[in-house]
Amino acid sequence: MRPSFFHHLHPPTIPTAQARWRHTLAAGGTAIFLMLILGVTGILEMFYYIPNPEEAALSVQTITYLVPFGGFIRNLHYWSAQLLLIVSAIHLLRVVFTAAYSHPRRFNYLLGLTLFVIVILLDFTGYILRWDVDICYPLLTGTNLLKTIPLIGDALHRIAIGGGDACTSGLLRMYVWHIFGLTLPVIILGVWHAFRVRRDGGIAVPPPQVRTDNARISRNELVRREVLAMFVIGIALILLSSFAPAPIAPAMPTTPAAIGAAASQSARAPWFFLWVQQMLKWGDPFIFGIVIPIGILVLVALIPYIFPKPADSDIGTWFPKSNRFAQITIGLVSFIVILLTLLANAK
Amino acid sequence: MNVTQWKNKMTDLSRRDFLKLIRNGFLYLSGVLVTGGLLRFLSYESEPKRKTEFDIGSADNYPLGSRTSIPEIPALLIHTESGYTALSLTCTHLGCTLEPNETGFACPCHNSSFDEAGNVIHGPAVKPLQVLRIEITDDGNIKVFTA
Repeated sequence: MRPSFFHHLHPPTIPTAQARWRHTLAAGGTAIFLMLILGVTGILEMFYYIPNPEEAALSVQTITYLVPFGGFIRNLHYWSAQLLLIVSAIHLLRVVFTAAYSHPRRFNYLLGLTLFVIVILLDFTGYILRWDVDICYPLLTGTNLLKTIPLIGDALHRIAIGGGDACTSGLLRMYVWHIFGLTLPVIILGVWHAFRVRRDGGIAVPPPQVRTDNARISRNELVRREVLAMFVIGIALILLSSFAPAPIAPAMPTTPAAIGAAASQSARAPWFFLWVQQMLKWGDPFIFGIVIPIGILVLVALIPYIFPKPADSDIGTWFPKSNRFAQITIGLVSFIVILLTLLANAK
Repeated sequence: MNVTQWKNKMTDLSRRDFLKLIRNGFLYLSGVLVTGGLLRFLSYESEPKRKTEFDIGSADNYPLGSRTSIPEIPALLIHTESGYTALSLTCTHLGCTLEPNETGFACPCHNSSFDEAGNVIHGPAVKPLQVLRIEITDDGNIKVFTA
């Protein structure tokens, strides 16, 4: 068979171990697939979305209720974005639990972590673009958090939303950050991340001299598996988008007096920031909203640098003995974030 | 380190390495300058400044003993024997608008609560509610200042 363009994107053969479902969980590949869907559906939404406080929520309603297949396109964008967060988290957990971050992949681990952070910001800015009554307090508290940072806080606030009052202004900045300022870095870092996977010797498995399993698969087989994964995720997305509509709320009023009355009905953060909202109930916003979340991020980023290097023969195996500390760290972080989210949900 | 040691160090650096050092220095410098310029470009305050002065109409609209919510500030105008007081209803924790309840005011975002006088009942807020400056204009209107 003559290889097609898509086959040519892959190495001629790779070790079988690198392409086992139970090893990769297909998380990284799924993330790329979801990003492609997000790009296409996002561009389609841009044909109708109007980034102006008076018209934004109405244009979202136009897409959702009037444009043929508009609701479906919006649902696809929404569900791909939510799944991307989950899949990215699974990808990160897989990499730590299988010691895949180990040298020479430490730099790529940082690239991936940066991508994860930008994806979270993309989810947040995308949520803000609804510009309905649900987004006022999350935007207000989120941007006021920036202001609590000593010295650079006010400048960061202006860089994020251009200053002014969070619920009547700031939409244009959120729009440009969403479709350009955050998306462009994701494309550049994403391509770099994928390139580094290949440059660093493919998905992490023990180096050839200590490898016990020397079976290899061809790129035809690899592409077949990728297509199968895309097919399964695609079906799941189509089902979700057909039966579970993306959230939408009444448009944000344009006068401050009316905003106050409408916004108070929903003071809930989007689900991926509920854990931060829960911590903010405990005290000082700078400590609980900035220092601790960034501290957690730094801790996760340092995993490949502060803990003992996992044994070569352990790389790419689940829960190996030689990287216990890393497993415990990421496990604790995940446990705390999930627990806080549940706590926030309970009230 | 004395002068001869310095001299030896200097001669250790070949012409090629010296030029490389200069080149990299310029590259880093221009990177820093471009980043700084970009951040300054983005930090311009493009959105209109928050309003800080509110004319809330004639003082006669707020009779003695009244407590009137002014949602556009947001604040509560209290008229007692000792005069007018405007109590800010912006939470001192992260800026959500407070809602009245049985004991005073509560924040819908992070559950801070304040008594009727604006003192913290329980956190996360630490600071009491701000008492806003008031002016009565010549034509008898009340002006509230948030800054």
